[in-house]
Amino acid sequence: MNLQRSTSGTRGMRSRLRLPDRFRTGLGGLGSRPGRTLLTALGIALGIASMVTVVGISSSSKADLLAELDELGTNLLQVRPGQSLFGDDAKLPTDAATMLRAVPSVTDAVGVTSIRGDVARNRWDDDPYGLSVIATNGRITEVLQLELASGRKIDTQTQGLPVAVLGAVAAERLAIVDTTGGPTVSIDGVSFQVIGILQPHALHPDLDRTVMIGEKHARDDLGIDPNHSAVYLRVEPTLLEATRPLLARTANPASPNEVEVSRPSDALEAQTKVDQNLQNLLLALGGVALLVGGVGIANIMVISVIERRSEIGLRRALGATRGHISSQFVIEAAALSTIGGALGLGIGVGATWIYADSQGWTLAIPLQALLGGIVAALAIGAFAGLYPAAKAARLDPAEAVRPHG
Amino acid sequence: MTAALELRDVTREYPGEPPIKALDGVDLRINAGEIVAIVGPSGSGKSTLLNIMGTLDRPTSGEVLIDGIDTASLGDRQRSGLRSSKLGFIFQSFHLLEGARVVDNVANGLLYRGVDRSTRIEKARTALALVGLADRANTRPPKLSGGQRQRVAIARALVGDPTLILADEPTGNLDSRTSDDILRLLEDLNSDHGATIAIITHDLDVAGRVPRQVSVRDGRIEVSA
Repeated sequence: MNLQRSTSGTRGMRSRLRLPDRFRTGLGGLGSRPGRTLLTALGIALGIASMVTVVGISSSSKADLLAELDELGTNLLQVRPGQSLFGDDAKLPTDAATMLRAVPSVTDAVGVTSIRGDVARNRWDDDPYGLSVIATNGRITEVLQLELASGRKIDTQTQGLPVAVLGAVAAERLAIVDTTGGPTVSIDGVSFQVIGILQPHALHPDLDRTVMIGEKHARDDLGIDPNHSAVYLRVEPTLLEATRPLLARTANPASPNEVEVSRPSDALEAQTKVDQNLQNLLLALGGVALLVGGVGIANIMVISVIERRSEIGLRRALGATRGHISSQFVIEAAALSTIGGALGLGIGVGATWIYADSQGWTLAIPLQALLGGIVAALAIGAFAGLYPAAKAARLDPAEAVRPHG
Repeated sequence: MTAALELRDVTREYPGEPPIKALDGVDLRINAGEIVAIVGPSGSGKSTLLNIMGTLDRPTSGEVLIDGIDTASLGDRQRSGLRSSKLGFIFQSFHLLEGARVVDNVANGLLYRGVDRSTRIEKARTALALVGLADRANTRPPKLSGGQRQRVAIARALVGDPTLILADEPTGNLDSRTSDDILRLLEDLNSDHGATIAIITHDLDVAGRVPRQVSVRDGRIEVSA
């Protein structure tokens, strides 16, 4: 080897660290202390994991709910009597359902009449079951998309007979499993044969605690006025907003302001918004964990700078500029944090998957949450590395190369 | 001929009451191809001298020329660049990266010159052969003896063909037999390959082996033979 003198001049004398070498020097410090790397990254991992889990669980549950809403249809409206001007309970006109059905954009409508009456297993049973009774007709099956768990529905053939269809909870409370063997229930001491049991109804949980009897039977044989306490109607989905303001006037032309029109699916959607508060709280907690993780990284990096004083001195002697030294430590901190972030993503996705699976949901984590998690980890790490990096760059090279002290 | 290094009336004061003069009007010229021992007891100012020769420290006054370049006006980037291209350091405590292979330690001598990795490794293998450690290229420093470690450090110092190699107590951590080997290696590098070497030491025996000794005492050059 011939050690040729380099020619004089400041040209070509600039210190240069190639980009791959920048990363190689930055990452080299991590591999040499794997245990410490892992422990330091753990703080960030927990923060990212909790945030991903919160976002993942809520979006999976929302996706599930929206799918359910889609299935039930968001074009179901409910018309109820409100209160009169004097604060009394108003009533819907008897023909409200018929009038509403006549609106062209209304595809179907059904009235229900709530009936006072104590439901029991038989006339001698006086336990309170907390169930309500409604009288209605066969259209309700179509309008509310009722699904039977057992037996048959109320229809034109059965609505004149002393028969009942039980909601899912009602059947459970009355300990009626299915319709075989002709079980009966008693309403105010009058016996009704149970011909059907419904499946739980997501859009209308009230219906689950209800016993339905035929409108015709109630009117003709029990002498109950079919004074509708509610009318359910389906509207052309595209005309929903246009139709909605017309309904009060149609249902009760005499006093339209005594009519309340609502959309049951709104209530379900509102549930997701209530959850939002809790979700924000959990996200904030995840944010605190990230912050703590970032402080942990800054802490360990400061220690690392002190421990690696002689390495810094050596690198300065080999020609590293202050910038090279600081970029090495910033890259190391950012990499440390990104490892934590990746770990956290894994934990978060895993936890979400387990929870979603236990709830029977499909896993739905927005891609932005995953990318955001990694970017956040990277940014927090780089930021946490700034102070230790500045400390490292400021070390006096003459001091740093000197052994022990 | 250009001097590898030239110090002109270099003074270095450390602040205090009164200020401490670590170096006081030092003039020194080391020509290309020379091997010089800078000798002095501890506290004589030779460490300060080394730091200034290596541009790790700046003089309070005076001029420091390396390969004809006045370093007084240079900023951090340029001084770092000058170290990477024109100076090689050998330390008493070797300063090897314990986790990196021997060949990577040597290649680090070229790291801050912007040389690509494969070229660095190639040159590092040549330098390792020169110090007699070609077969240990893939070993890691903890498996090496003190003498072998210092050879690795020497290879790292010379891998970039520097104008001047500064060796700070290169045998300070070694037994006498190993010291002898290391000094012979430095002498060979000087005589056979033309390397310019300044050995800073407190050990008169070490200094006595090279043709020119510069003696430092109380921040001044006493004898410049």
